[in-house]
Amino acid sequence: MVGNDIVDLKQAALESNWQRKGFLNKVFTQKEYAYIQDSENSFLMVWQLWSMKESAYKINTQQYQHRFFNPKRIVCTLMDKAKGTVKIDNDIYNTFSTMDNAFIYTVATLKITNEIKSNCFKIKKAHYKIQHQTCKNQLKKAISQLCNIKSESISIKKNILGIPKLYKNNQPLKIKCSITHHGNYGAYAIF
Amino acid sequence: MEKESLIASLKKIVKPYIQDEEAFDNLTEDTDFITDLKINSANLVDVILDVEDEFDIIIDNDSMEKMLSVKAAMDIITLKLEEK
Repeated sequence: MVGNDIVDLKQAALESNWQRKGFLNKVFTQKEYAYIQDSENSFLMVWQLWSMKESAYKINTQQYQHRFFNPKRIVCTLMDKAKGTVKIDNDIYNTFSTMDNAFIYTVATLKITNEIKSNCFKIKKAHYKIQHQTCKNQLKKAISQLCNIKSESISIKKNILGIPKLYKNNQPLKIKCSITHHGNYGAYAIF
Repeated sequence: MEKESLIASLKKIVKPYIQDEEAFDNLTEDTDFITDLKINSANLVDVILDVEDEFDIIIDNDSMEKMLSVKAAMDIITLKLEEK
């Protein structure tokens, strides 16, 4: 299983005020709060930790078919700038984050593996319908190349929990996927 | 608090964060904040903080955990108001 999450830094600065009273306390554990305090750039650390939590949570919902909203139950530990682990109850997920000036992107896996394929791309307009369509098209293109099948025969359906699943001519494919978008950036990860 | 006025207050709170206008216009108790209204999960934190401010209540993490739909939010607000 794989989970991923992207944060468009410009969008995050626009739509979220992490310095708002109560925000950090609702989202971060004491240890995570210390990472933020000790960081050279608290803004970036907030969103790196957020994307780690989100990406791991996306695997957790696939495993247990259950959604919840409690960011503090999702506990991050940083190994270095890029690598980390995220604990949700008794499960530990491995995360790898990348960042540039525009976005932070994290891929989470249950086991350490290098078989994950992921790709980040720009989205023309930060509207959820366009974001969604762009992600779907990009993912279909990747699956089409990977499996050598026609893009038209691939479909992506989300179940009631919002988890995307891949199909070829309406038959489920074995490949697991995760899609994410935020602002003008999107990404997919396949495994 | 009456159901209708509670929904109206909630609608006012979530409005700045919604991305799906149509789902917002057709909001019912069954509306999901994330899958229907397409509220970004980071903004769901804002919704919860706004609810706390508006109703002068504290939503602990265990209560917050269920706050994914209008119905769940209404139940939690009602419970917290009763506890006051």
